[in-house]
Amino acid sequence: MLHARVVDISKEKIELLRAEKFIASSKCGASIYFVGTVRDLNNNKKVIAMTYDSHDALVVKSFEEIYQSSIKKFNFDNSVVFIEHIKGKIKLAEISILIAVACKHRDQAYDLSRFFIEEIKKKTPVWKKEHYEDGDSQWLEGNSIQKK
Amino acid sequence: MNMKLELYGASRDFSKESFIIFNLKEKSTIKELRVAIINFIEENFQNNENYKKIVNSSAFCSDKDEIVNDNYKISNNEKVGIIPPIGGG
Repeated sequence: MLHARVVDISKEKIELLRAEKFIASSKCGASIYFVGTVRDLNNNKKVIAMTYDSHDALVVKSFEEIYQSSIKKFNFDNSVVFIEHIKGKIKLAEISILIAVACKHRDQAYDLSRFFIEEIKKKTPVWKKEHYEDGDSQWLEGNSIQKK
Repeated sequence: MNMKLELYGASRDFSKESFIIFNLKEKSTIKELRVAIINFIEENFQNNENYKKIVNSSAFCSDKDEIVNDNYKISNNEKVGIIPPIGGG
């Protein structure tokens, strides 16, 4: 079971409680929450905020594709995955991404959680623009997903 | 024919709008669109090498939300998204 969504920060925040409700299941004995937040230093520059841009339809599609890949790769019974990614400008320590997974066993939950964040980094069309203390800002370099 | 290039990530710096309209010949491909964007950058941003690098490393997304390759033929009035190198999370 999958919940996948892009959350527009101008309308709402990513809430752990939503994830907790979604993944709650008596069939699962282990839950992992991966929470990505904005940190204050990158490449020796003081960061004060981050803007996330996204192609919403492609983001949700990529989450669904990663979920399908995870089923093929792991074949875990009764696993539940909740993913939300932020869109817009957020401040330090605010949540940019939440991946909550529930599985029957703890080793499955750790594997699934790690798989999702690593695949998202490689495949999901989201971009980050850092805002610095000195007023400057910069889009961060990423991975090309060109189709040859 | 006209087509609308929707801007994402670093390519948003190419315009104050969230898109750029290009006039291309009928049945142009993504490869030809890429050349048109490079020409646009040469004309409007003094040949900015960083912007050209973004274009050359970008993927493109069709109206149907599919990543397409350089041989994809663009339809009249189609909206195509430019997908610069990604880095979310």
